[in-house]
This record gives sequence, structure tokens and C-alpha cells, in this order.
Amino acid sequence: MNDQHNTLLADFIVERLELGVFAVDAQFNIVLWNRFMHTHSGKSAQSLKGSNLFTTFPELPESWLKRKIESVFELGNYAFTSWEQRAYLFRFKHNRPITGGVEAMLQNCTFLPLKDEKGKVEFVVITLQDCTDNALIQQRLAEAITISDEERRKQQELIVKLEDAKNQLFQSEKLASIGQLAAGVAHEINNPIGFVNSNLGTLERNVTDLMKLMAVFESKEAELPEAAQQELRKIKKDIDFEYVKEDLADLINESKEGLGHVRRIVADLKDFSRVDQSGWQIADLEKCIDTTLNVVSNEIRYKATVVKEYGHPPLVECIPGQINQVLMNLVVNASQAFPERGQITLRTGEEGMYVWIEVQDDGVGIPPENLQRIFEPFFTTKPVGTGTGLGLSVCYNIVRKHEGELTVRSEVGKGSCFRILLPIFHGKMGESEELEAALSVPQ
Amino acid sequence: MSVSVLIVDDSPIARKMLKRALPPDWDITIQEASDGAQAIDIYRQGSVELMFLDLTMPNIDGYGVLEVLQAEGLNCIVIVVSADVQPQARERVLAMGAIAFIPKPVNPEGLQEVLRQYGILV
Amino acid sequence: MIKGLNEDQTAALQELANIGMGQAGNSLARIWKEFVHLSIPRIAMVDASRLPDLILGFVGDTAVSASRQAFHGGFRGEVLVVVTAKDRNGLAQLMGFEGQLDAAEREEVLLDIVNILGGACVGGIAQQVSAEIGFSAPSLIGEDLDPLDVINPEQLAIDTALSLEVCFQVENRSLTAHLVILLPNNEVGALADLLDQFLCTL
Repeated sequence: MNDQHNTLLADFIVERLELGVFAVDAQFNIVLWNRFMHTHSGKSAQSLKGSNLFTTFPELPESWLKRKIESVFELGNYAFTSWEQRAYLFRFKHNRPITGGVEAMLQNCTFLPLKDEKGKVEFVVITLQDCTDNALIQQRLAEAITISDEERRKQQELIVKLEDAKNQLFQSEKLASIGQLAAGVAHEINNPIGFVNSNLGTLERNVTDLMKLMAVFESKEAELPEAAQQELRKIKKDIDFEYVKEDLADLINESKEGLGHVRRIVADLKDFSRVDQSGWQIADLEKCIDTTLNVVSNEIRYKATVVKEYGHPPLVECIPGQINQVLMNLVVNASQAFPERGQITLRTGEEGMYVWIEVQDDGVGIPPENLQRIFEPFFTTKPVGTGTGLGLSVCYNIVRKHEGELTVRSEVGKGSCFRILLPIFHGKMGESEELEAALSVPQ
Repeated sequence: MSVSVLIVDDSPIARKMLKRALPPDWDITIQEASDGAQAIDIYRQGSVELMFLDLTMPNIDGYGVLEVLQAEGLNCIVIVVSADVQPQARERVLAMGAIAFIPKPVNPEGLQEVLRQYGILV
Repeated sequence: MIKGLNEDQTAALQELANIGMGQAGNSLARIWKEFVHLSIPRIAMVDASRLPDLILGFVGDTAVSASRQAFHGGFRGEVLVVVTAKDRNGLAQLMGFEGQLDAAEREEVLLDIVNILGGACVGGIAQQVSAEIGFSAPSLIGEDLDPLDVINPEQLAIDTALSLEVCFQVENRSLTAHLVILLPNNEVGALADLLDQFLCTL
């Protein structure tokens, strides 16, 4: 390409490019105005030749633009404007007459110094680039990012709330199982404590009677022959009779005190587990099951699928907290019967004046020799340190206290089924009065 | 007769650039100083007729040198050569006794103009 | 001595930076019609990971606004301008705006400054070593930033950079603008060659 071609090419580019190109001299008179500027401004190069930029276009931001152009004349460097700070230089109609989305054409401008041979800036050339499409995309992207950030923030909030709920649930589960243990321990201890207490009472009476007899014997001692008296004196000395007499009373008193101490501990434990002896209510057993399942859902979720076969039996008079404990125990036990995963089926139904609940698992099953002992306190097949062996015996006692029955049938390799039978109506109070006295706790 | 010239600038490159811009056939003897204190010492030896002085130097800067020279009778011609080309700098050094201010990078024609203007070069 | 440049090249760069910064300061003074103090240019070779600390070292522990501009040609790199936030209003007045600026105007001012300073300083150096340099449009890094956040080393394409820094201080309005010119280490060779050519002319 020779010089002539170069000039033609340059002219062609300036004229025909989809880019606004115009130039001004130091007095802001227009010395160049290309086709883009013509078609968008409605003013031809011909009509504008030599006229002042600001006179012809009074809507231009004159003071800012003058300063901008002057700085290019002064410093001889490029200058720029971006639609992001300044939407447009010239308010041209945008290229989206149908699709819309914007008020006017968004523009990026470059200011170029055109220098003479001496390096002095003779003209400033200004290019105007239509950025409307890109700008819209950028804006939409920014909006999408804002929305996405907002979503993410909400999700974070939700996650925090869920964490909280999970922790709370975990806490209540822990408490529930501690409560369960405490209730179990309290129950288990109460029986023997009751017996010991009762026996102590009897012992005390017996000892008092015996002492009465001893006193009578001692008063008659002087009437015995000397040999017999001597023998008696010897035995009394050997066994340290005087000391034994005193000690007996002490021993019984201390034992009674010790027992009282233990009963206070039991009372505390029962307080802790909040087993309310007077909490008899009319309850919907299916609701109890649902509540319990909620509480243990975390623990069994990865081990078991739960299937409900509800028979919708009538409401039952019971102590719901205790029944829940039994259910929790049975369900958790069932979930531990699977090597990997399994199914727990919960069934309810009625039978005469009773309502029954079945907790069935298709787990490993219980061998016959263990089956007989399964409700024994402290009987456990779990490794040492895990579990207390109290669970099922506590359950057994609770159900018995309700005048119900807890039974089990099981087959090794097939699974187990625990059945709770509860009378619909609560009958007379429980066993021996001593036991009742030991169990009733001042609230 | 050789003109005794002192070039004062802490940058050796700047001193070279100035030397390069000096008129080629000029009969001069050049001394160099790399800080204000050194410049003052050489001046006090009484052998400097023309001093090209930079402004930004550590310790005693160009302004400091001008002060001393003014106080001691200003027995030589000082032309300040500096990159700090703001109008205020120029005014200040002229008020302090420099006869001219030449901006860096030194333009040889501009330098010759100044030298002719003040009769240093004929 | 700067790694990648020998003693002569470093001395040359120091003086050329001095001249370039002087021209930049002069440009500002003409635009702002105020006297501008220039610090002595600091040149250093810095690990990319230490660039945030470098910026912090230049501006101190205060909120800043920053803008950048790329240059290309004889040597390639980027220019940063970091302005302390409390100076924003002084800045507006200097650029000829009245009263408070809105966000768009503030951004425009930051972009104009980096354009002016970068153009003068880098342009000045380029002219001395007879290199052709072009500039891209400037862009905003951000406002009210922690100095350590101005540069994110993770996003950088380089390991080390040559840094030239100067502090411009306007007396009357207590405005401070730091200009930092950064060259990636793989461009230092190109610059070294240009400096050698320049030294040959001396």
C-alpha cells in the first residue's frame, strides 16, 4: 500500500467505522466529524465545519468538557471517560428501539492529542464508543450477583438457625437419656431400698423386743446358781455384752440414717429425671410415638427406616413422660439391632380394655438364652462401658407400674418385636405401701 | 580562556546528561560535586565561574547552597537545573540569586539560549 | 542495586524516574494551580506477596481510594494511584468541582488522576529512553479500602515486580497521592535494554 492508499484507508476507517470520531482545535471549533456522529446527531460534517462545539451542542456539559479537552492540549496525553461514571457525552438515541432497557446510548470516550512536528498539541480527537449492549449485560450481571449474594446470606442464616435447632435437640436428647438413666437408676434402687427400709424397721422392733427379754433375763440373773452366773458373766465378758447392747442401737440408727441418705439421693435423681408420679393424663399413644420419633430421629436416621402401621386405638390414661421413655428405649434399641441399616415398624392397636404398641425390628434378633434375662436389671449384652443394663428393666417396671405388660418375641437372624400392653384406665395404686412411700417425692 | 564550570548533582547520570547537553565546542574546565557541602567547599576555593546546580540533594540541597552563596557574595553565576519544574520552584530560585532555571531533561538548544542570553556564550 | 538491573542501569532509572516524576508533579501543578511537593522516588524489587505490605508502608494505616491504569509498548506494566480517603473532598476542589461529589464524580476524579500522573511519569521515562508507550483506559480499584486490600497477590500474574513510588503532596489542601509504577519482573529485561541504550548516548 502506498501513501495514497494509506490516506484512503485512514479516511475510510474514520468515516465508516461504527465509532464516533470528531476533533476540535484549541478554540473548540469542530474540525472533523465522521458519519457515525452525523447519523446520530442529525448534523452533517458539512454543516458543522468550523463551528464551535459548545455553541452547536449547548446541551453538552460545557465546563467539565472544556477542562477535559484543555488538559489534553496542556499535558499532551490521552484522556478517557467511561459510561460507568458518566453515562454519555452526547445524548444519542440508543440502538435498542424495540428491545429497550436503557434511556440513551451509553458511551466510552477517548481523547487523543494530535501533535504537530514540534510536539505541540494541535488538535484533540475524540472517539465515542457505543457500550450500551455491554453495559446492560454488565448491569444484569451485577444484579444477578447481588441477588445471589442475598440468597447466600439467607442460606447462611438458615444454616445457623438449623445448627441451633440441631444443638438444642442434641441437648434435649442428652438430657432425655440422662433423665432416662436417672429414672432407671432411681427405679432400680428404690426396690431394694424399700426392702431394706422395711427390714430395718422390723429389725428395730425385733431388737427392742429382744432387749426387753434380755432385761428380764438380767433381772433374774441373781436367782441363778453361782456356776451358771459365772458362765453368764464369762460369756458377757467374752462378747463384750455391754458394748454390744449400746452398739446395737447405734448400728440400727446409723443404718436408718444411711438409708435416709440414699433415699434423698434417689429423690434427687428422680427430681433430675422429672419423673412425675402424679402426672397421670389422658394421652394419644400415637402422638407419644411421633414425639419420641422426633426426639430420636437424629440418632436413628442413618441406621433405620421407620414404618408406621397405626391402628388408631382409643386414648389411654398413663404418665406420658414415662411412656415416652419406654418408647425411646425400645426404638433406640431396635436401631442398634442392625449391622448396617434396617427397618423399624411401629404398630398400635386395641384389645379389649387394653391398648398395645409394638416396636418391631428386622435386625439380628435375640438368642433364646438371653431372651429370658432381658428384663433383668444390669443385664446387658453390650460391651463393658456401653449402656447401663438398666434400660429394659426400667421399661419393664414403668409398664408394670401402669399395670401393663412388656413382652418380647424374637428370632435370631429375623428380628425382634417388643410389645407394650397398657390398660386404658388407670386402676388402684401400686405395690407395697412402703414402696410407695419411698417412691413419692416432694416436688 | 577556559571557563571554570562546576556541575552539582547527587546523581552521576544527571551529571552525564548535563555534560552531554553542553555546547560541543565550548572551552570549559569541568569540576563535579555530588552534594551541597562539596559544592560549597569547591566554591570557597574561589575557582568557580559558572555553577549548574540541582535542587534535590541529600543534606544540603540546592536551596541550601544558594543561601550560602548569597550570604557570601555570590561570586559565580548559578544556573539551576532541576526535575522539579513547577513555577513556584522557578520563582523561588530566581529570587535567591540564580540567573536561570533549566528544567530536566536538559534541552541542548534551550541551554545554549540561556547561555547566550546571559552573555556566557557568544 | 536492584535485582535484574546493574548499578549503572539502576542509577539511570533513578534519575529518569526523578525527571518523570518532576514532569508529573508539574502536570498536576498546572491542572490544580497549587504547589506540589514531590518525594524522592523509591525504587525496589518486591516479591508479589509483599506488595500489600509495600502499599501499607507507603500510605500508612488509613482508609484509601485507589485507581489503576495499564501501559504497554517498549515496556509493560501498571500504574497505581492511592489517595488517602480523608483527602477526597480536597481532591474534588482541586479538580474544579464545587461542593460534595457524588459517587460517579468521585470515581471520575480518581480515574483522571491516575491517567494524568501515569501519563506524565511513565510517558516522561519512556520519552527519555526513546520508547513508544500506549495507555489503556484507567479503572477503579475501590474506595474506602484497607491499604492491604489494594493489591491482591493471589490474583497477580507475577512473582516479583519492580516498584517505583513517589508521593505527591499538595501543601494547602493536605492531600497526599501516592503513585506506584509496577513492572512485572519479566519486563525488567526490556527496560534494562532501553536503559543500556540510553546510557550509551551519555
